[in-house]
Amino acid sequence: MTSTDGPDGRLGASERFFLALRVFKGAFFFGRKGLIIWDSWDMWVMQILITPIAQMGFFAFLSIYWGYAPSFTQYIVVGNALQAMSFSAVFAVANITSQDKWQGTLPGTIVTPANRVALFVGRAMFQVLLSALISAAGLLYADVVFGVSFASANFLSVAVVVMLTSGAMISFGLLISAVGLYMRTAMIVANVFLFITLLLSGVNFPVSVLPAWLQPFSWTIPLTYGTEALRMAIGSQGVPGANLFQLSGLLGWEALDGLLVLIAGLALFTGFETLSRRTGRFEEY
Amino acid sequence: MITSLGAGGRVSGYLARRLQVLKACIILTGKLFFADPQWIIPSIIAPFVFTLVAFFLFNGQTSTSTFLLELVLGGGLMGMWGTTIYGSVNSIGFDRWNGTMESTLAAPIPLSWISMGRVLFNTFEGVINAFFILAIGFVWFQVGFSILNPLLFLMAALCTFLSLSAFGLMMSTVVVLTRKGGFITNSMEIPVYIATGTMVPVIVLPFAVLPFAYILGPTWGIEAIRNAAVSGYSGVGLGYWQDLSIMAVETIAYLALAFLLFRRVEAYAKRNGTIDEY
Repeated sequence: MTSTDGPDGRLGASERFFLALRVFKGAFFFGRKGLIIWDSWDMWVMQILITPIAQMGFFAFLSIYWGYAPSFTQYIVVGNALQAMSFSAVFAVANITSQDKWQGTLPGTIVTPANRVALFVGRAMFQVLLSALISAAGLLYADVVFGVSFASANFLSVAVVVMLTSGAMISFGLLISAVGLYMRTAMIVANVFLFITLLLSGVNFPVSVLPAWLQPFSWTIPLTYGTEALRMAIGSQGVPGANLFQLSGLLGWEALDGLLVLIAGLALFTGFETLSRRTGRFEEY
Repeated sequence: MITSLGAGGRVSGYLARRLQVLKACIILTGKLFFADPQWIIPSIIAPFVFTLVAFFLFNGQTSTSTFLLELVLGGGLMGMWGTTIYGSVNSIGFDRWNGTMESTLAAPIPLSWISMGRVLFNTFEGVINAFFILAIGFVWFQVGFSILNPLLFLMAALCTFLSLSAFGLMMSTVVVLTRKGGFITNSMEIPVYIATGTMVPVIVLPFAVLPFAYILGPTWGIEAIRNAAVSGYSGVGLGYWQDLSIMAVETIAYLALAFLLFRRVEAYAKRNGTIDEY
């Protein structure tokens, strides 16, 4: 019992906070080691370099084949540069619990008295950086390969949009990861979500093109705000890229959306953890 | 008893054992698939969403019947491709996850035949997948089933099926040596969609990409399918039979390379004891 323990032997709020911070730091570095050392760095370099160009190329060629103006192809390319981060931000994060199941480490992870938020968010945090790198590579391809002009861009806004979208999309990854705690694997849900964002998030065409009943779903995805903000931050010929003040509305909604999704994910995680503990079905799913 | 058989008997025994293994692997892979059929969902959803995106991209602007037919065909081909590549590359990877790798390799039959059985079922699953997407596409987009020459279309589809299997078999050798199978599959998915001309004919691709496109057998299969299905399609411009001939040659080359590679990598993995501790 430490001197700061409460009368019932429980840790005080500040100790719990610092303990959670340590868990977060440990989980962050463990996540980094897992990704870079175990998975090996060459795979990640490959993903950072191949994922965006492949996806951007697919839709750009489609646009070229059907004879659309270069400006429209560039519109598509910018959207896909940002969306390409979902492979890392959503798919990789969503599989955290599934990978624990495959590797037999889930019961060990669950029985630790560590703060769940710190543990799982910490493990996912390294993906924020990777996701941002994927989108940065995408934007570089947009400039070099597809001729998107960054002459009017506000680079600070571009950087903030990419980082914020990356963080907000991680929330969706964690939400799906919570589903993976109960299901056999989260991979299926992650796959479905990943591709749905191509359709709903204004990546390839404005949200207004979608049927009216689908449009509200678009605005529940942080990427929708991010895509719009990124296009504004890049600007176009004669239109300077928007600064952070001009983007504050969109970015505020994106941050709020990401936070709400994170809270929903944690609630779902707690619910499924309780259910799995009660039924003893962590791995006997 | 094998030793008492003549040369002919030995050959038939050799073949019979391998065909028996092939059949058993096809059946087992099928049973595993039906025990957990959820894996078909991502294989259907990805191509279908890509098709929908293309539809919304051009809706109301280029919605001719040719456009819609090409769109739906492209979605179907992507479905076939995705399932085959994913299933084939991971056919060995799943052994690692399930802890059955050692037993599989210890079986007194070359790994190539075991893998071929699995790949054949995966390709068959890909074909079912393609038909699902085609059916949804035809209903959703209300495209009339106006295939130019249904018989040639079916023949090209069947040949593409075989070519995909051979390509999948060749790719699955990589996974014997590395745990990065899933990663390779995910990274390859969209590039092969592009390089084989599933949604956009390869002729549109930049010159630098064309050599890669042309060494992929399914590229020619897809050209043949389009030639048989779409009226006035020109594409690479070689024509239906030339497309099929090139695909046949490349498919034979894939098979030869696959068996050679399997022999090498299996021996390497056994010699170095790196089957599971890779």
